[in-house]
Amino acid sequence: MINLKIEENVKESQNVNTLYFNWDQDIRPGQFAMIWIPGYGEIPMSFSGLGRRKSITVKAYGSASRKLTELKAGDDLFLRGPYGNGFDVREGRKLLVGGGSGIVSLYPIADQETDALISAKTRDELIFKDRFPESRRFIATDDGSDGFHGFAHELLQRINIDSYEAIYVCGPEQMMYKVLQVLKGRKVFVQFSLERTMKCGIGICDSCSLGGKQVCKEGPVFNIEELIGNPEFGVYRTTYSGRRIRLNVK
Amino acid sequence: MSDISTTLAGIKLVNPFMVASGILDENGYTMKELLERGAAAVVTKSIGISERDGYPTPVIVEYGDSLINAVGLSNPGIENFGEEINIAKEAKRPIIGSVFAYNAEEFTKLSVKMEEYGVDAIELNLSCPHVKGFGLEVGSDPDLVEDIVNEIKSKVKVPVFAKLSPNVSNIIEIAKAAEKADAYVLINTVKAMAIDIYSRSPVLSNLYGGLSGPAIKPVGIRYVYEVKKETGKEIIGVGGISNYKDAIEYIMAGASAVQIGTALYKYGKGIFREMEWQLRTFMDEERFEKIEEMVGVAIKR
Ligand SMILES: Cc1cc2nc3c(=O)[nH]c(=O)nc-3n(C[C@H](O)[C@H](O)[C@H](O)COP(=O)(O)O)c2cc1C
Ligand code: FES
Repeated sequence: MINLKIEENVKESQNVNTLYFNWDQDIRPGQFAMIWIPGYGEIPMSFSGLGRRKSITVKAYGSASRKLTELKAGDDLFLRGPYGNGFDVREGRKLLVGGGSGIVSLYPIADQETDALISAKTRDELIFKDRFPESRRFIATDDGSDGFHGFAHELLQRINIDSYEAIYVCGPEQMMYKVLQVLKGRKVFVQFSLERTMKCGIGICDSCSLGGKQVCKEGPVFNIEELIGNPEFGVYRTTYSGRRIRLNVK
Repeated sequence: MSDISTTLAGIKLVNPFMVASGILDENGYTMKELLERGAAAVVTKSIGISERDGYPTPVIVEYGDSLINAVGLSNPGIENFGEEINIAKEAKRPIIGSVFAYNAEEFTKLSVKMEEYGVDAIELNLSCPHVKGFGLEVGSDPDLVEDIVNEIKSKVKVPVFAKLSPNVSNIIEIAKAAEKADAYVLINTVKAMAIDIYSRSPVLSNLYGGLSGPAIKPVGIRYVYEVKKETGKEIIGVGGISNYKDAIEYIMAGASAVQIGTALYKYGKGIFREMEWQLRTFMDEERFEKIEEMVGVAIKR
């Protein structure tokens, strides 16, 4: 277990906080850590910042993530990692497609040539909107409270996909499945970062399996070609016990 | 060229390497992938009567190349597991169904169901060290072990393996109680613990877990040697096997086949193919024609 100190806790919105800490460690965009909150559990978190100062951006939903958002400067941060393969970051014009908190793991890819399509259910749930200038961002909300009224994949259909060298996608599986349908067959390089129930984070327990691949180790990043025809992507998820549940995405 | 295929309780194996229970064997597609990448057989994760979440995270501590786990027998329940076995069977290699329960009746129900699903053998988990009421608590009671094994043997036709624990005071007594089993599987994890000194707290949510990986290999070797010498029965060796040399050490101590778990964490799924050709090279150089010629050669009478 690695022990670091929180340097700063910045509130992003109602229930989203970014925690900054110093960690002299090479990490690739898209990799993640298992963050331990003693007494509350251990949860996978991708990095939202990979400069000299690293950061994670946490949305409070369960008791562990809520506790994490409440940590203060000087508090201990416990983690193991970095884990996973990370993105293959290409040169040139890039598009990030982030649904819900998905933009967090994509953010470290962003440079001067990167546009972002950020989607959420409603205006208040848009994360990192202000980190992209207006000329470089596309916003979609399910309820129309900000930007395009509709889903990410619908807005994506109105964008000139062929003007990008690479597209990186992260968000709820339902959203990614639909984005995949829009992007498949196009000649642009596309990668998706997936999420599954994680327990060990190191490719041993099989709780994060996706068609025979371990999302924690062989992923979380997969090329679009690896997902087309994957028997579980967009088709099944598994519960904490390992029980298979059919998704109604298609 | 030497022959690395072998037979275990009548089951043909293309090599002596199987996947140990609990490591990458809960999902049918994962099991299929491991078989396609060289594992001769997989033992499924231990399955119980009903769906079980296991313990909350953290469930793993990394300890060098070894691990301490307290996954807590999470599983989807026997009724939901047939689908996974069907998927795994597409690889057309043996599947061994591992089951856990707290009495002979439930163990038998599970084993009968596994046989219906088409598994090639049953492995009885009599040894998980970190779940109250199951595993070790069952496996350290010789009368109960005898009941369980005898009952199952009278109800199923496929071979039955008894997986024993190193966490008992007299393993020979337990092995003898499980005498009717077709083979013994040795060893399960060693009860262990880790404390984080900065949070001043045990790391695992369950406090205790099971140690696996290179740290337990010498313990496994000694149990395989001792039980083979005492009973002469077929043994499947497991515990800390990370390369072909470890596997051969187990075979020379008396194992007819071996299982690999924790090493998948460090070496990944390519480990089976790697070990296959290394084993073949070793046997060629040392002039062994068949695996059987190496089984138990180190045992001193
Ligand atoms: C994460 C994990 C889960 C395990 N789950 C089971 C299980 O469900 N049933 C079982 O009989 N053994 C289980 N084991 C024990 C292994 O099958 C094996 O006996 C032990 O790990 C030693 O082998 P190794 O050093 O190659 O991992 C588990 C081990 C690990 C590391
Ligand atoms: S979280 Fe355990 S295998 Fe991926």
